[in-house]
Amino acid sequence: MAAAAAESVASQAQAVLRARLCDPSFVHSALRSSPDTNYSKLKYLVSSSVSEACNNSVLLLGPRGCGKAAVVDMVLDDLKKEHPDAISLIRLNGMLHSDDNCAMKEIARQLCLEHQLSFSKMASSDDNTEFMIDMLRECGLAHKTILFVLEEFDLFAQGKQRLLYSLLDAMQSLTSQAVVIGVSCRLDADQLLEKRVRSRFSHRKLLFVPSSMDDIQRLVEHLLMLAKDSGLPAKYITDYNARLTNIFGDKKFKGILNSLMEADPTTSNILRFLFRAVSYMDMESGFLSMENFVSALSSMQRQPKMDSLLDLSILELYILVCMYRLEDKEQSSYNFTSIMKEYRSIQEAYKTSDKYASTVCFRAFEHLLDRELISFADSKGRNQALEYRPVKLLISSRELAQSLKLNTTCPAVLQKLLDRERYM
Amino acid sequence: MQKYENGSANGRQTARTLTPSLPSVTVHFKSTFPPSSAFLPVAGERPRMDLSATPSRSKSKAKSSPAKPIAASAEVQMDLCTPSKATPKRKSKSVTSPPPTTPATPSTVRRSRRLLDTPTKANPEAPVKATPTPTSKGKRAAPSPKTPAQREPKRQRRQPKKRSYYRKVVYDGGEFEVGDDVYVKRREDAESDAEDPEAEECRVCFRSGGGVMVECDMCLGGFHLRCVRPPLRRVPEGDWSCQYCEAERAGKAMERPKPPEGKRIVRTAKEKLLASDLWAARIESLWREPDGTFWAKVRWYIIPEETAAGRQTHNLRRELYRTNDLGDIEMETILRHCFVMNPKEFRDANDAGDDVFYCEYEYDIHWHNFKRLADIDDEPETKEDPSDEPYNANTDYISDTDEDSEYDEEEEPTSCSLARRNQTHELAANSRKGRIYGLQKIGIRKIPEHVRCHQKTELEKAKATLLLATLPKSLPCRDKEMEEISTFVKDAICNDQCLGRCLYIHGVPGTGKTMSVLAVMRRLRSEFDSGTLRPYCFIEINGLKLASPENIYKVIYEQLSGHRVGWKKALHYLTEHFSGGTRIGKQANQPIVLLIDELDLLLTRNQSVLYNILDWPTKPNSNLVVIGIANTMDLPEKLLPRISSRMGIQRLCFGPYNFRQLQEIIISRLKGINAFEEQAIEFASRKVAAMSGDARRALEICRRAAEFADYRTKQSGQASLTCNRGDGVVCMGDIEAAIQEVFQAPHIQVMKNCPKFGKVILVAMVHELYKSGLGEVMFDKLASTVFSWCHVNRELLPGYDTLLKICCKLGESKIILCEEGSKHKLQKLQLNYPSDDVTFALKESPDLPWLSKYL
Repeated sequence: MAAAAAESVASQAQAVLRARLCDPSFVHSALRSSPDTNYSKLKYLVSSSVSEACNNSVLLLGPRGCGKAAVVDMVLDDLKKEHPDAISLIRLNGMLHSDDNCAMKEIARQLCLEHQLSFSKMASSDDNTEFMIDMLRECGLAHKTILFVLEEFDLFAQGKQRLLYSLLDAMQSLTSQAVVIGVSCRLDADQLLEKRVRSRFSHRKLLFVPSSMDDIQRLVEHLLMLAKDSGLPAKYITDYNARLTNIFGDKKFKGILNSLMEADPTTSNILRFLFRAVSYMDMESGFLSMENFVSALSSMQRQPKMDSLLDLSILELYILVCMYRLEDKEQSSYNFTSIMKEYRSIQEAYKTSDKYASTVCFRAFEHLLDRELISFADSKGRNQALEYRPVKLLISSRELAQSLKLNTTCPAVLQKLLDRERYM
Repeated sequence: MQKYENGSANGRQTARTLTPSLPSVTVHFKSTFPPSSAFLPVAGERPRMDLSATPSRSKSKAKSSPAKPIAASAEVQMDLCTPSKATPKRKSKSVTSPPPTTPATPSTVRRSRRLLDTPTKANPEAPVKATPTPTSKGKRAAPSPKTPAQREPKRQRRQPKKRSYYRKVVYDGGEFEVGDDVYVKRREDAESDAEDPEAEECRVCFRSGGGVMVECDMCLGGFHLRCVRPPLRRVPEGDWSCQYCEAERAGKAMERPKPPEGKRIVRTAKEKLLASDLWAARIESLWREPDGTFWAKVRWYIIPEETAAGRQTHNLRRELYRTNDLGDIEMETILRHCFVMNPKEFRDANDAGDDVFYCEYEYDIHWHNFKRLADIDDEPETKEDPSDEPYNANTDYISDTDEDSEYDEEEEPTSCSLARRNQTHELAANSRKGRIYGLQKIGIRKIPEHVRCHQKTELEKAKATLLLATLPKSLPCRDKEMEEISTFVKDAICNDQCLGRCLYIHGVPGTGKTMSVLAVMRRLRSEFDSGTLRPYCFIEINGLKLASPENIYKVIYEQLSGHRVGWKKALHYLTEHFSGGTRIGKQANQPIVLLIDELDLLLTRNQSVLYNILDWPTKPNSNLVVIGIANTMDLPEKLLPRISSRMGIQRLCFGPYNFRQLQEIIISRLKGINAFEEQAIEFASRKVAAMSGDARRALEICRRAAEFADYRTKQSGQASLTCNRGDGVVCMGDIEAAIQEVFQAPHIQVMKNCPKFGKVILVAMVHELYKSGLGEVMFDKLASTVFSWCHVNRELLPGYDTLLKICCKLGESKIILCEEGSKHKLQKLQLNYPSDDVTFALKESPDLPWLSKYL
């Protein structure tokens, strides 16, 4: 009975933690307090252009996963609360709307939706452009700001950039009141703009960089520590927090975080890691333990190619080793038939029991192609038979050697073949 | 109206002699005009807008004034004689008693009107003004089937029975003109409406006159300077409130002086208006009914209390809202003038009397929302405007067309009944027709407080003037070029035979090309207004805003004629027009100035669009002038010879600004605002001049710097109220930061914040680059270098796939250029930035001390 109760408390706590990890505004709530973050800078920019009725354009740059979109969302949420009536939001994504006409139509559609106007799909792109300019004017007269959020901004900078030009040019009139926020992970996104578009762009840039180790540690604490008022039994909370502080103080935990950061220090990566750790939480004890974090780390650092190498059959390994030998002999171009020749010669020399018919080998070869461990050397000759198309190995010798070592069923001959080639 | 020029002016002359009252001559009228009780000023004609009021069109129209049938019949007559009169304007009146003729739905009305029109823009307004003047035959006879030319004598006989419109009427001793603001009586039996004190009484001594009075800004009561305690010497600057209001605000009770026994307080018109016992309205048109009564169409003003939002805290005492509600009233109900001013006029009008009101917003009575009144000055002039007024505008009769054209558009929404409103939902707002109806909805429910109550600091003022959108009062540094443009255009226009010419303007972005041309055109328009210039037609097209180059024909044709056709047809018509065949539009013989911005965008493969456009001016009698603007200097040379020979003759170059000019531009904008250090401006302009000479860039840098300074002061103001160095002034540091942001690429910072293995990869790439001398490196090779380094320096070995992932991430931010990740070990990588940048960024990285030895 007591165990069941403890379990329900634990699952409750797990739910709370998961909800937190998935809520970007909670994750980034620490940004709100400090004045030097991108959040407060962006908020100042947008809110001053809302209250002072001016136009602005700003570009948010930074690698993926650094919280650009989350910051934009937070700022927009806050502003919607502060100026409930005065903001209308247009969201465009470069992946979806990189075509100018389509983007114009989407702008018109969202404007109509926002202001409860009826929208016609049939309107021409000229109509939509005019409509947008009229709307900018009318909204400006009504003290309403239109916010354009262009995600994947770099993709809008293809072609003639008519959309960006007409947006930025419309913002040069006094009655309009609009803010264009571009979000891009390309650092040279503003260099992509055509010169007259660039001249109209205001060149405000906010750079997002991955956070430092200290910040990440603070973030982890902020995310995992349970507050007193989270609706769980008080005793559980104190126990839980005490254990967690213990873990945080551990050197091993710091090592885990470090190795995580060495590969990818972005916030989204940390969140993914924590989510896994929380999911590994032991329901019986109901607390997070060090093992949870360790297993989460190992699941984060999987090497997919290594894993698939370990799953291969002996014959497939033979084929890979043959290919490797061929490459080592500086044979620049080879195909299935030359691999088979090599394979036969090995079989002749070592008389192993792993001698298979050519059709079987061909099936193994196709399997390797499917797993993308090998690939065709070029994309020409599509109508050629598979056997004759030149192929290439996609894994390195180090990976191959490692996988042979780890594979318990691997015949010794194979290792020898590889090693001899390497150290002779 | 262009059409009254020359020959057609005769038509007007004859009309003048026929009609007893001339539109220009003011009609003196005595107030003893028999006011039969039936025609008593209509109380309740205007919808009462209570706080709870629903859109009350029905209420307003549910009046049972006997005047109605007459008016309606008058309409019927008019409808008979001029079919194109079925403007929605007339409809508004006939909602309750629809005339037997046009029972059409609004949209069909519009459409039918369109069909009946000659393809000119001014025609919709023609019926209104046409009444005193018989329509000139040549213009309107052909397209309107219901007015055959032989009807003309009949119409003239009927002339006295029709409404005649005036621009100015002297009625009851007052002179009322279209566009004036007036008080309107609300109820006939309202108390003491008869007496109307012009001078206000002092609130203390209750005598009027006798010395200067000062008005309390809170209760609007007037006080003699001597009656105030302590007495004032002169009228104080700024806000002043009387001692009673101040006491009230402080929470103290202070009895206001009571008037002496037996003396009634006479309220001024202003007070009555603010207590909603009077109305204010703006006269939109004036006319005389066939029976001799004088009527006016007015646009109502509304006091804040009557809006749905009620009086808001930031409303001024003297504030009114303009509505989009129009009504017809008899002149009898008009009391006298008042003055409703826009914010700028209001600020300047210090002692303009008691009847001054403030109006900044328009209130939509259907949707109960507010909208700023647009400043007409800031708007670019509409293209057909120059032709709207007669060429010799300084003769003394002025037709009332411009006012009409104004409200012809604005009126449509007001006259929509419920049925019409339903229809607005069906019309899509982004299509052409729907826009007229749909956009009415946009407005704000309540005027936000921050807009009104905000006192701008110096920095905020500076930011506002530095906005690109703000039109500068003068354009410094481009006098020579503007002179050249204006002589070019004038030469083209003024010659009787306009020889087709073409001007090509080039220069890098942000050097004021378009702005100069537009400024010249504005100046020419004002010259035209003063009557020294022939009328012309100005069309402005931006190449980048066209969906395709061919669309330019469509746009030009639409500007000329107001009709939409496909581009092929438009091309056909235009070619005919310019080669002297059938002319398009009413301004057929006017010279056309065509401005094409971003000319290079019109290039098609066979360059036919450019050829056609540049070929038109060369035709005799084409009357076309083309001004092309583009960035590249040698655009004509790049084109086919037959085009460059037509275009490249006259050129004008806008060179990049040098630092002095930039400085002058910035300083001229910031005149009177003390927010920038002098060196800061010079620094910014020198920097920009060295880089590009782009004025937009310079202004943006200054604005950004002002933003930095503003942000700094606001942050420090939040934290503590201490003033630190350079508070409220933009200093060098801010400019520096802004320039950094604009000109410096952020890659170095990103490289510094790379993950550890990312740094190793970057350094390994530099290493490989120097080793092999080739820009490209294979991932396989790179990975083995990284592994060996990690091995030597006892780092934890990353997995192959981890490395690959990091490479792809770096490739995504374009720090390196790489092929797609599915190539695995065969992926080719290349640095996107110079290797020196990598060296600079990663020389001293704290977490990888061993890295520097490989650099």
